[in-house]
Amino acid sequence: MSRFVLRSPTRALLCTGALTLAAFTPRAFAEGSVQVSVKDHKGAPISDAVVSLVALDSPPALHPPVEPLVITQRDQEFEPYVTALVVGSRVSFPNRDAIRHQVYSISKPKKFEIPLYGAGAGETITFDQPGIVSLGCNIHDWMSAHIVVLETPFFMKTPADGLAALASLPPGRYRLDVWHPRLFTDVQREVVISATDSATQTIAVTLKPDRRLRRAPDGAGGGYK
Amino acid sequence: MLALRHTFAAKLLILLVGLVAAAQLVTGLIVSRANLSEARSQIATDLHRATTAFTNIVNDRNTLLADGGTTAAGDYALKPLFANPEDTDTLASALTSIALRVHADLVIALALDGHTLASAPTGDIPGGVLRQLIAQAEHDESPTPRATGYGYHRGQLHSLVLVPVRAPEIVAWLVLGFRIDRELTQRLNEQTGIDLTFADQDDQVIASSLAPRLAHDLLASPLRPKRASGVATVPLAGEDALVVAYNLPAGDARHATLYLQYSLDEKLRATRATRDVILVVSLGSLAVALYLGRRFAARLSQPIVELVGHTQRIARGDYSVRNTAYRDDEFGRLSEAFDQMSRGLDERDRVRDLLDKNVSPEIAAQLLRDGAALGGEERQVTVLFADLRGFTALSENLPAPAVIALLNRYLDRMSLALEAHGGVIDKYIGDAIMALFGAPVAQGDDADRALAAALAMEKALATLNAELAAEGKTALRIGIGINTARVVAGNIGSARRLNYSVIGDGVNVAARVEALTRNPDYRATIITTAATLAARRPSDLQTPAPNYDSRSPFSHGPHSISLRPLGIVPIKGRAEPVEIFSVE
Repeated sequence: MSRFVLRSPTRALLCTGALTLAAFTPRAFAEGSVQVSVKDHKGAPISDAVVSLVALDSPPALHPPVEPLVITQRDQEFEPYVTALVVGSRVSFPNRDAIRHQVYSISKPKKFEIPLYGAGAGETITFDQPGIVSLGCNIHDWMSAHIVVLETPFFMKTPADGLAALASLPPGRYRLDVWHPRLFTDVQREVVISATDSATQTIAVTLKPDRRLRRAPDGAGGGYK
Repeated sequence: MLALRHTFAAKLLILLVGLVAAAQLVTGLIVSRANLSEARSQIATDLHRATTAFTNIVNDRNTLLADGGTTAAGDYALKPLFANPEDTDTLASALTSIALRVHADLVIALALDGHTLASAPTGDIPGGVLRQLIAQAEHDESPTPRATGYGYHRGQLHSLVLVPVRAPEIVAWLVLGFRIDRELTQRLNEQTGIDLTFADQDDQVIASSLAPRLAHDLLASPLRPKRASGVATVPLAGEDALVVAYNLPAGDARHATLYLQYSLDEKLRATRATRDVILVVSLGSLAVALYLGRRFAARLSQPIVELVGHTQRIARGDYSVRNTAYRDDEFGRLSEAFDQMSRGLDERDRVRDLLDKNVSPEIAAQLLRDGAALGGEERQVTVLFADLRGFTALSENLPAPAVIALLNRYLDRMSLALEAHGGVIDKYIGDAIMALFGAPVAQGDDADRALAAALAMEKALATLNAELAAEGKTALRIGIGINTARVVAGNIGSARRLNYSVIGDGVNVAARVEALTRNPDYRATIITTAATLAARRPSDLQTPAPNYDSRSPFSHGPHSISLRPLGIVPIKGRAEPVEIFSVE
């Protein structure tokens, strides 16, 4: 069955991540901050997780960036794999390859299609509904990317060290969301941010196996099976 | 055959043919058992291969459907239908299109949570099969998870394969299926030569390469194997079929069973043809063995049969039989030895015959019994001498052949008379006869028999003289002397030639007494001594002896004897005088 990749030897289907929340005490502006560490149960950091805080009491106004965000297509891959943005943001899909691509999404928050286009800036798409948008290239099945459309300005995508530090948070109640492409169930938790207090919480998450299609190496079709 | 069993040839024949038949029977049985075992083993292997062929075909077909389904689901125009299934009618028609593209009998679209979005053709698969397929795929960690199984759709058994629909994440599942039908069983039958029958959990035929009645019989047989219980033997259409069962789970409380079978008789047919040929060859070789065995046994037993016949003839006294030819084996040497034996017997018989003629039968018997050893023993013997009177003068007037003829005629008559009374003729001395009574075998009444023999000789001579007178020839006259004494009896002579005889003074006395008959004063033809009279049996002692002074007749057998004392006379060469009597 597995045509392109080797099955992972252990059933690392479910990974447990731990979220550590630390409240900071801001000195000057009575604003809170929080650092989130996303790790699996072995303590290994998890990158490409989107950590966001949605204010429950007084949602702040959203200010989409003026310049469009960029998801490039380079070497027949989307870059970056995960993009987080606020509702109303625009994204451009420049093609940096010598070949053409056809970017599409059939996800509910934003269905679109950019028919085959060559090198260049490409079309700019506005994401005006919150939710997860899965991107694909219709002629390259292995190309995959995700756009997390958020209704809050407080978010961050974890880098390789799995740490997301969120600052300039007005004190109050928040819903902490953590999303990852392989997350089994969404993580949602209510937290209270204050200018002076600090709080630490642990959230268990499970990750699905990475089922992204991978490009077959040259001449690795498998022969007769 | 019962009579034949008592011949060597028949026994040999039975042994040979029996050995050949037994060897062939045992060989036949061993070969037959080996063939049966081999056939069973081959069929078991074939059934196993057919099972593998079935699973391979199903796997290949599943792979084709899965690949085709994946490709079809990758159609960009179809993707929104899976991700946003508000329009299930359109999806269902699209599934029909997919079925046409990939030659599937069944295509079903499933949401990620397992509920059916659409199916082409419509209908559900009972027993939770679809959810089981999704669970199976969820466990497959590969980027292209797949799951396979069996399920009943509209009551028909299908092989099912599940593949993901990607956009590019997995947004739905696609199930593709093909029907397990008669076409599949026939294709497998052509490929493997094995008959296949699919039955549902209620033992109803789903599909079979067999004729419907046979398939029904198979499923009705209580001998058919249960799930994976090895090879079973099921009688079908008058033949034994070897059957294995292969279970196909088809959801909760549902399954199908694949029965694979091959006729044992069919497998054995080739070997049976060979067996028939072997049988013919065996019978032929048995016949040849019978024929050769008969000839061999006859050849082998022929000298034995001949020897048996010869032995019987020899037992009857015919020693003239000889074997025709000598073979170069033990039988030849036996025949040769047998011929030597019969020659020896013949020679011995002739020797015996000659011996009988040359010596008296008693002496011949004694010689044959005790051997011709020199030496002797002292015993009481009555010796009789007989002599012709005036024969010398008579012979001078006759030609020699006439003399011999007359002498032989005389001797023959005398010998007969002597032998009639148990006398043993010791020798002929010209015209004289010396006879013994009591040697070599004593009989108790030797003296009596001697006296009776003397009288019989006198009577026989009278008869002979009457014949001679009738022939115009001169009558013969005889003188007989008898004496009884202890003498030495035995084989006397040299190592090369010897005679049984007696020697001693008593013999001389007998000869002298015989000579006394010439004395005209005595007027006696037969003279005996007192010693002989004393030797007579006591029952015969009717007259006292010696010293008779009157005639004292006594009888011995048919003869009556009268004794006339002639007095005591000196005997030449003997100191003591001897009392003599005339016997009349």
